[in-house]
Amino acid sequence: MMALLEFREMLRSFYGKCDAVLIPVIKFVVSVTAFWLLNDSIGYMEKLKSPVVWLALSVVCSFLPYGVISFLAGVVLVAHISSVSLEMALVLSVILVMAAILYYGFQPGDSYLLLLTPILFHFRIPYVIPLLVGLSGGLAGVIPVSLGVFLYYTIQYVKQNAGVLTNDAAVEITQKYVQIIKSMMNNNLMLVMIAAFAAGILVVYLIRTLSVDYAWHIAIVAGAMVQLMVVFVGDFMFDVSVPMLEFLFGVIAAMILAAVYNFFVFAVDYSRTEYVQFEDDDYYYYVKAVPKITVSAPDVKVQKINSTRSRRREF
Amino acid sequence: MLNEDRLKLMTGIGLFEKREGKRIFPVYRFFRSDYIGKHMLRSFLGFSFCWVLGTALVVLYKAEDILSTLNLNEIVGYGRMYIGSYLVGLGVYLLITYWVYWKRYEYASRGMKVYVAKLKRLEKRYEMQGKNGQGGRKA
Repeated sequence: MMALLEFREMLRSFYGKCDAVLIPVIKFVVSVTAFWLLNDSIGYMEKLKSPVVWLALSVVCSFLPYGVISFLAGVVLVAHISSVSLEMALVLSVILVMAAILYYGFQPGDSYLLLLTPILFHFRIPYVIPLLVGLSGGLAGVIPVSLGVFLYYTIQYVKQNAGVLTNDAAVEITQKYVQIIKSMMNNNLMLVMIAAFAAGILVVYLIRTLSVDYAWHIAIVAGAMVQLMVVFVGDFMFDVSVPMLEFLFGVIAAMILAAVYNFFVFAVDYSRTEYVQFEDDDYYYYVKAVPKITVSAPDVKVQKINSTRSRRREF
Repeated sequence: MLNEDRLKLMTGIGLFEKREGKRIFPVYRFFRSDYIGKHMLRSFLGFSFCWVLGTALVVLYKAEDILSTLNLNEIVGYGRMYIGSYLVGLGVYLLITYWVYWKRYEYASRGMKVYVAKLKRLEKRYEMQGKNGQGGRKA
């Protein structure tokens, strides 16, 4: 345990010293992953598929805020889809513009969730998102996470139906739109996932803010359980097919990652909790003080006792 | 000669400006009513624009139903429902906007009080050291 705490302090001090470099590197990694996944899944526009283009875009993104990175990723997504179906690209653009105006007009600063949710879906650990959002953010995080889930399933739909979408010239234009909107909105698996993630965020947030011992640990377990429950109920009611083994491993991995996050952000020692009570003119105060677990980072200095022999110049 | 106390205070103020400046100074340039009103106007325009976009999608989705029922009464009914839902949606959205920006203004005004208190403390330090002849500000 001590070694882990020392490692945490070392990481903290390293981040403090090198954040000017680390933040652009993290943004670069997120951008490269997002563009690579887009090209890999729905890379229908050849010009954008070139590694030079998406690597150059990622380098530029390293120095931009997450809001602009999300916007650029959205443009790339719509451009790829427009090569398959202009109608689909138009519908998706309208939905994205509406989300940008109605939600991002408030400048909530959580647009990285739009990128992270589809990326983590690709790596089969999306269930960690509700746990981390519930632990670190507020309830408003439900909106970008839901939008991220919607984007992931839209990408999947385009990937699986590219042939149908390209060869529907004979279908009437209104029929095309009806078909596209129906397929985007009536995807039961997507709706179940959105419900599971929203419930997960809500439960984790509510439990995390309770004044009980081990609230964060309880919140992580409860959030994972709620996600399991909603997906099982959805499976039963809407007959959606979720690969169970993969889902269970995903939830376990999510709990482990959330526990790691908890260790780095909220390591406290409940055994040394103190309760204080006092009053002033207006209030009685019942204070619960939980000490943080802290150790000082080892500061290793090597002092050489034997001085190196200096050669005397001989004249 | 360097004055450690003043340096500490100024560093604290500088850090505070860096961390909180974006959330305080642009907001506190306005009166509360102007700040909230400006954002409510923007929200009104944004919501109306999105409503038009959303309507276009709904019309495309329901084009066949709409064209097949060219009954005047039903069209009037749809129109009323459309305007009613627009007004309700707009009202809810404007309420959310009011709440969000009211909270942001509260946060900014609290932050401004802290900032002004820090500045006053620095000013007092200057005055005290000026009286003691330890290199106060030059007029």
